[in-house]
Amino acid sequence: MSQLPFDPLFVSIATPLAVALAIAFGLPKRYSVKLAYVGFAVPALLALHCWYHFPAGAGADYVFATQYSTGLASLGISLKLGLNGIALPLFVLAGLVGLAAGLYAIQSQAERLKHYLMLLLIMQGGLMGVFASVDIFFFYFFHELALIPTFIMVGVWGGRDRNYAAMKLTIYLTLGAMLSLIGLIAIYVKSGANSFDLVTLRHTLVATPLAGGLQKHLFGLLMFGFGILVSLWPFHTWAPLGYGAAPSSAAMLHAGVLKKFGLYGLIQIALPLLPLGASQWTTVLAGLAVFGNILVVGFITMAQRDLKQMVGYSSVMHMGYAFLGIACLSSLGAGGVVLLMVAHGLSVALLFLLTTSIHHRTHTFDLNEMGGLAQKTPVLAAFFVAATLASIGLPGFANFWGELTIFVAAWTYSKVLTACAVGGIIISAVYGLRTAARVFFGTPTEELARVTAAHPPADLRWSEKLPAIILLAALLFIGFWPKSLSTPLNAALHPAWPAPGALPLQTTSGK
Amino acid sequence: MTPVTQALLVLLLPLVSAAVIALFLRRQGGIATLVSVSVAAALAAVSLNLILGGERFTASMEWLRFGNFAVSLGFKFDDLAAVMLFVVSFVGFFIHLFSTGYMREDAARGRYFGGLSIFMFAMLGIVFADNLFMMFIFWELVGFSSYLLIGHWHERQSASDAAKKAFIVNRVGDFGFLLGILMCYWVHGTVNLTELGATHDGGGIIYSRLIPLLLFCGAIGKSAMMPLQVWLPDAMEGPTPVSALIHAATMVAAGIYMLCRIEVLMVPDALQVIMWVGTTTALYAALCAIVQRDIKKVLAYSTLSQLGYMVAAFGLGSSSFELNGVAIAAGVGAAMFHLTTHAFFKALLFLGSGSVIHGCQHEQDIFKMGGLKSKMPLTFWTFTIGVAAIIGMPGFAGFFSKDAILLLALQKNPAVFAILALTAVLTAFYMVRMWKLVFFGATRSEHAAHAHESGFSMTLPLIVLAVLSAVGGYSGIFGRIAGSVAYLVPHAEGADHTTILIVSLAVMIVGAGSAWWFYKSDATDTLEAKSRGLFRGLTVLKESFDVLYDYYVAKVQQRFAMLLNFLEQIFLAGLIIRGCAGLVGLMGLGGRALHVGSLHAYVYWFLFGLVLLWAYAAGVF
Repeated sequence: MSQLPFDPLFVSIATPLAVALAIAFGLPKRYSVKLAYVGFAVPALLALHCWYHFPAGAGADYVFATQYSTGLASLGISLKLGLNGIALPLFVLAGLVGLAAGLYAIQSQAERLKHYLMLLLIMQGGLMGVFASVDIFFFYFFHELALIPTFIMVGVWGGRDRNYAAMKLTIYLTLGAMLSLIGLIAIYVKSGANSFDLVTLRHTLVATPLAGGLQKHLFGLLMFGFGILVSLWPFHTWAPLGYGAAPSSAAMLHAGVLKKFGLYGLIQIALPLLPLGASQWTTVLAGLAVFGNILVVGFITMAQRDLKQMVGYSSVMHMGYAFLGIACLSSLGAGGVVLLMVAHGLSVALLFLLTTSIHHRTHTFDLNEMGGLAQKTPVLAAFFVAATLASIGLPGFANFWGELTIFVAAWTYSKVLTACAVGGIIISAVYGLRTAARVFFGTPTEELARVTAAHPPADLRWSEKLPAIILLAALLFIGFWPKSLSTPLNAALHPAWPAPGALPLQTTSGK
Repeated sequence: MTPVTQALLVLLLPLVSAAVIALFLRRQGGIATLVSVSVAAALAAVSLNLILGGERFTASMEWLRFGNFAVSLGFKFDDLAAVMLFVVSFVGFFIHLFSTGYMREDAARGRYFGGLSIFMFAMLGIVFADNLFMMFIFWELVGFSSYLLIGHWHERQSASDAAKKAFIVNRVGDFGFLLGILMCYWVHGTVNLTELGATHDGGGIIYSRLIPLLLFCGAIGKSAMMPLQVWLPDAMEGPTPVSALIHAATMVAAGIYMLCRIEVLMVPDALQVIMWVGTTTALYAALCAIVQRDIKKVLAYSTLSQLGYMVAAFGLGSSSFELNGVAIAAGVGAAMFHLTTHAFFKALLFLGSGSVIHGCQHEQDIFKMGGLKSKMPLTFWTFTIGVAAIIGMPGFAGFFSKDAILLLALQKNPAVFAILALTAVLTAFYMVRMWKLVFFGATRSEHAAHAHESGFSMTLPLIVLAVLSAVGGYSGIFGRIAGSVAYLVPHAEGADHTTILIVSLAVMIVGAGSAWWFYKSDATDTLEAKSRGLFRGLTVLKESFDVLYDYYVAKVQQRFAMLLNFLEQIFLAGLIIRGCAGLVGLMGLGGRALHVGSLHAYVYWFLFGLVLLWAYAAGVF
């Protein structure tokens, strides 16, 4: 357990928010930047602290739990913080990606850097809050807190098509969030627990489960609501467009961490509370995931010429594996999804970071106008190839474990869908390696030669390298030692959920 | 040190070496070379100690667990693993040594030796793996190191393409491999190699065939069997020592090793398929080798052909071969025997070709060489031993192992025997063709005229491997390292013995003699000059697969992707989404039309409303 004299979860949420507030009240720029380091570093360090001190064998119950009164007790709302085995990996993810995105933003020389950092810090505070909240109200609240700065950052600091992208992003994500909000409130009302506390809700609903028909509707709401937020096919078109336009640090935080809110909500809330409802939607979910996200989007990814769009589409494709894992309705599937969420978060953030670094050197995102960059920037090339291989599931990186576990789990759900999903490893190898080759290997195109003659590209600077190293090191660490995450995760999933194939909670629900 | 610690050391040393090089020695090529080569030497020494120490063990630890599903990191060190460990560590060390000379001038030496170390780590993982998940992990990792090393000279477009192709084609094989592993896990409840042997119950008529065949897909990719053979000839874009280590001696042979590992899962139907895939590849590749001009490509096709031999041997003899009334896995014995001798002589031939290429300032066209016998005497003599071994000259290593395979074929399947014998004729033919064109006759280019013998770091490995190619087939050598695997090698007796001896001598003499007599020391291919049709036919045969696959990639796959992308842009992102947005906008327009700010309009609306109200009150609707 933690030996800190303060509550690490609360401090990790409050620090970035406090720094943001200080910047908002007109702190001069040089102090703002220095303080921003603190705002990004504290949550990351505290997250690592929690990971390191997470008690062995724990995970089923919430650790580091604390409760703060909000004056809304009559509605059953209180700020209850804690981490279980499912929340811990994502909390660590939020801390690490936040640090990397923050460090990258600080050196980015963006216009109005102060405000940019302020918004990022608000986002960071919200992200830490999402995964530390035990109370569903605050779980949702923190998500919105992190989401709104995203829209502003895309609209103000975005690249090409930023206005259209910002609008589309806002409409889609607000719609998704609203659907899931309706579902969450309905659970609160129908459960009769008069509490937003997830633990209380869970106890109430295990004792007296909701009727099957109602569960079906509620799960449907949550599935599509959360699904839109995670770019479930065919509600995914916001993602490549939005990430294409978003400034790099915002894309890193959103694609890497905030997007995982939907999957996290499905695993932590929807599946345990609505097991009967979930079982009625698996066919739809698995079908959309495999044929839509993995196969169709996989092929679409191959057709991309724009580097950033390619990364955006590949991220949509990998979400298909996550949805498939959820559709398995087993502890094995859910475990694989959490591993993949962490891995994907790290790798996609790394890819967005490197994509921007490539753009600084080539002044284009068009893959047909690049080539041979590795001769000028070998370190950048090495990082990009590593990130690509991680994202296409090469063993040694974290992503492999997520995909493998999901494949193993999916087999008991459907052999045909498993075979199609495993086919995705070929598709991702094709677009991943093709992209790496187009950017870095072979001979430079004439366009690139002209650009590099005008602005000789420097290799990756330390200020860019440091955030990249943080992400890559985390990917490799989990890749080589997956037990560091799977042990608490297994403890959280296993007692509640019976063996693969059986429905979660059904045996304990007394139904 | 306990044997387990030694094995762990062997596995992890190269990983440490690769990490140190990647982190600190990117620019210090000299130190990186030193680190990598000393690690290779150390692990060869420890491995030799492990192999000859006689201790065989299993050990494992948990790597990941969800409920009942666990992946473990384990060692299964038996005699089979010992043979493979010997090949990898021993041949590996000498290729490291050779590389110090060959890559001396290379600017990116650090990356090269780091890549070699990663390869050693991944390959040793396959050797030791005690379960299929672990094998798959290292299986993919050798694919990665192969990608890295084929693309070493990444500024060359051809190298970049070849690296990409190798990885993707291997992924196609791995797709089947992974499905096979998943199926095996759910049907048998375990993927542990030892437990599979103990609890194997077939799993029903469909699964018992599907599982071995899907697992075989992994071998098809990694060992470049037809129809996935296309990546191996292209992989010759990598530096020559890499071709020797990865694409001849060890990694490509991993497919055969894996088959031997899962021998308990085999059923006769699956073995039939495996046998025919191996046999066809052996013949096809031998035909292709005849028309190659590039010294490394000849050897690459020759490797394909020999791998086909090994796979055919496995398919011919496993599970159902009787020796003195006892059923033994003779296929495993013959395949592993040929794998070992092939590793010696093919590594020797590749390194010899590397020495030639190095001496001729990176000239690779055999028609631009010639007369190197006197300029590079050491290379010539060692290369000659390699040629003698591969064409099955009596007394050399390849003679014994090839005869073991021919014997299996003779007893099991006359058609396969005929094809493999024909392949042996072709092997002798193309090897002697190359040997003659490179080392004899007139010198046909400027580069070859200035050729010189390579330095000691390159000739020492040649000598060692030449010795092994000469004597590696005797049971004193192979029996010592292979232990019980050596007992599985079939030996011909009586009439069979005579038949095999006569056939193998005849094919060698016919193949070698006709090549020696046919080819002239000339700048053009004698076959092309004398029999244009045959030459063209063979060239087309060689290129047919690439043409077909290129067509698929460019015309089918890419167009399908473009079509889906187009549909998405037009329908999903365009019509439907923008359509919804448009509908909302239209409603807004309609609403706005009601509020135009003109008094007349309001009056009309007012009257219209009044009429509606009256109609409603009157019960009109």
